[in-house]
Amino acid sequence: MATPILAAENISVAFGAGRLHTTAVSDVSFQLRKGESLGLVGESGAGKSTVLRAISGIAALKRGRILVEGRELPSPRDLAYYADVQMVFQDPYGSLHPRHTVDQILSEPLAIHRKRDPDAQILAALKDVGLGPSFRFRYPHQLSGGQRQRVAIARALILRPKIILLDEPTSALDASVQAEILNLLEALRAAHGLSYILVSHDLAVVAHLCERLLVMQHGAVIEEMTADELRAGAVANPHTAAMLVASKGFERKGAVRAL
Amino acid sequence: MAEASAASGRAGRRAWLLAAEPASRTQARLGRFYVSWKSFLGNPLAVVGLVIVIALILCAIFANVLATHSPYGGGDLRTERLIAPGEKFWLGTDDQARDIYSRIIHGSRLTLMVVVLVSVIAAPIGLAVGTIAGYLGGWVDVVLSRLTDIFLAFPRLVLALAFVAALGPGIENAIIAIAVTIWPPYARIARAETLTIRNSEFIQAVRLQGGSSARIILKHVVPLCLSSVIVRVTLDMAGIILTAAGLGFLGLGAQPPLPEWGAMIAAGRRFLIDQWWVAAMPGIAIFVVSLGFNLLGDGLRDVLDPKASR
Amino acid sequence: MSDRPLLAVEDLRVRFHLRRGTIEAVRGVSFSLGRERLGIVGESGSGKSQTGRAILGLTPPPGEVSAKRLEFDGTDLLRANARELRRLRGSRMTMVMQDPKYSLDPVMQVGAQIMEAYRAHAKASKSEARDKALAMLEAVRIRNPVRVLSLYPHELSGGMGQRVMIAMMLVTDPDLLIADEPTSALDVTVQLEVLKILDDLVTDRGMGLIFISHDLELVSSFCDRVLVMYAGRVVEELQASALGAAQHPYTRGLMRCLPKLEGDLHPLPVLNRDPAWAL
Repeated sequence: MATPILAAENISVAFGAGRLHTTAVSDVSFQLRKGESLGLVGESGAGKSTVLRAISGIAALKRGRILVEGRELPSPRDLAYYADVQMVFQDPYGSLHPRHTVDQILSEPLAIHRKRDPDAQILAALKDVGLGPSFRFRYPHQLSGGQRQRVAIARALILRPKIILLDEPTSALDASVQAEILNLLEALRAAHGLSYILVSHDLAVVAHLCERLLVMQHGAVIEEMTADELRAGAVANPHTAAMLVASKGFERKGAVRAL
Repeated sequence: MAEASAASGRAGRRAWLLAAEPASRTQARLGRFYVSWKSFLGNPLAVVGLVIVIALILCAIFANVLATHSPYGGGDLRTERLIAPGEKFWLGTDDQARDIYSRIIHGSRLTLMVVVLVSVIAAPIGLAVGTIAGYLGGWVDVVLSRLTDIFLAFPRLVLALAFVAALGPGIENAIIAIAVTIWPPYARIARAETLTIRNSEFIQAVRLQGGSSARIILKHVVPLCLSSVIVRVTLDMAGIILTAAGLGFLGLGAQPPLPEWGAMIAAGRRFLIDQWWVAAMPGIAIFVVSLGFNLLGDGLRDVLDPKASR
Repeated sequence: MSDRPLLAVEDLRVRFHLRRGTIEAVRGVSFSLGRERLGIVGESGSGKSQTGRAILGLTPPPGEVSAKRLEFDGTDLLRANARELRRLRGSRMTMVMQDPKYSLDPVMQVGAQIMEAYRAHAKASKSEARDKALAMLEAVRIRNPVRVLSLYPHELSGGMGQRVMIAMMLVTDPDLLIADEPTSALDVTVQLEVLKILDDLVTDRGMGLIFISHDLELVSSFCDRVLVMYAGRVVEELQASALGAAQHPYTRGLMRCLPKLEGDLHPLPVLNRDPAWAL
């Protein structure tokens, strides 16, 4: 088997010390193949976002290691890592600098990585995410939530990374905008051969975008399955089953009482 | 005809400034500035403050033209001492037979110099200390914050007095002393602002692009802290002028015969009862200019600091 | 069923007069509510939350509410004086908000808050109020109600906090409950438990419930009737069971654009907004 583009080997993350010590992620391992997209599902506090933070170096590993294309990631991360792995955040209102234009936001990564010809790359990135050049000099407050998230995706894309970490990228958006962003993410993956790690609490979203998913609870992976198995309801763990039932909406017992 | 085309030109410029889809960096910036300017103009008191400050600047620039007499050389000591305000000497003369009006006009240069130099020295120090402490945290924060606290623990005038006493009297040393004593509040403000933005996702996003701490502080954190520091500096300018005047009054600031307003009041206090104008005229000048800076600062806060206005 | 509806709303409008002009958040909403579950669905900015707030008189300033008719059980809410409104609000009609963290007093024990809510509207002794609070916490299926009484809000988990909130709102046995995204901040499995509690309470007590949410599927599975709002107007009113037969292109688009576990489409159908819907 070819080397996975990203591999986590027995990673653990802990916060705090003494009485406040909590293990956020314990002994999690997974592999992401090139061009694949992997879902991390779980309820709040399950540790799924912490896994992304550990990959990007914001949260320090207590144990284990993370490899990108077989190379163990240095800590602190080097520029080569940031060129390979980028992240899209949940809140499109908080992830863009309020005083910077779209142009400044997109040129920042290019300046950090000393890329040539920023103008052409900015226009290309905007085109990639379906925004015209007319958006280039707008401020975030002049954009809708969906447009902001497109800008955030363009920023992640502009360095031409191999892996994009998606932290609940659509949960702050309206359903109709969510559909647009999911379609965009899917099209970009096909066009640029990207690999995704998607963190979400929404099983349907994960099944839509990912081929494979890990279910997390209390910082550990409790089940690994393919999206097709999830669709078929072939789940082994009772917690996964409960989430699956809950995602299908409310089932009323009995008929409405006559009043 | 010409009027109509001018009007349409103005409307066109307005539309260009308010365009939802600016075509260039400059247009986006100017448009943003225009919106702020419009909201600033909506506050009449702030406009009064701006007019006063602009008047002060014009006085300083055109002091030679505006002054009717020499600020240093007195008139005839026998006949022109302590003359009440009148036609020849608009604001009267002092005990050296110098025209008070001309001295006040020339004194605006000193006042402006003090204000500008102090803010140019103190604001960057405060910003740097505050943002670095807030962003880096840990022991850097502890050291810088305690340093700030030490400076804050002394009353400003007393600390400035100590500095001037050590450095020797003079307007330059007074400026340095005031600058050294005035930065701690700016550091506090900048640190507090930095703490709220350092964990925001847009800062994390830059970190995840590989941006260094220096780059994040300079390009992303400082611009956000800048507006509240500018507002605070503007509001403090009245205090700076008063401290400079206070040092001048105590004889530790500007030395005679420089027409510094505080020193002028000090010289005039001997004649306060009989020749009130000698002390009152520079006092009024200090009052008006301080008020102007305060009004301007309040107006700027409404425009620049979204938290206070909304 | 009584002939008089519990709540009658006709041509409800909420306007905000701002410096850059007047924004009409709710533009002529009419419906009537019996002792049933009514869902109001819409995307952000559709005016659904402002509708709920306007009914309770909680429109934030500078908002202005007008209506041809806004009656709760025979009382004209627009003409009632402040005292009458206060008496109704909290005792006979009440609201559950999205995030319990912001709705509970952080420096007051949970039990004291529930008891205060009860005693503000009913003449009761302290011990009676305490019994009532315990009973309410049991009704929302809190396992150890005596312990929870003495907890502070920050010591509660999200699901617990929302249950306490519901207990507090229902302690006065209201006739109308307006729930604004009561479960959106909760995990799906917890969400289901909270909905079950609401469901039982509504069924047992015969309350009228207005359930405001962005989640069309959830609302239709929980409510009897659904109003779909778009740009401040009701574009469609449906029986929840007849959701599949929705006529309005907005409702249909909203349902289609969700990713589904069964019969998923690639790419997802996108909702094309017709400017005519907002007219």
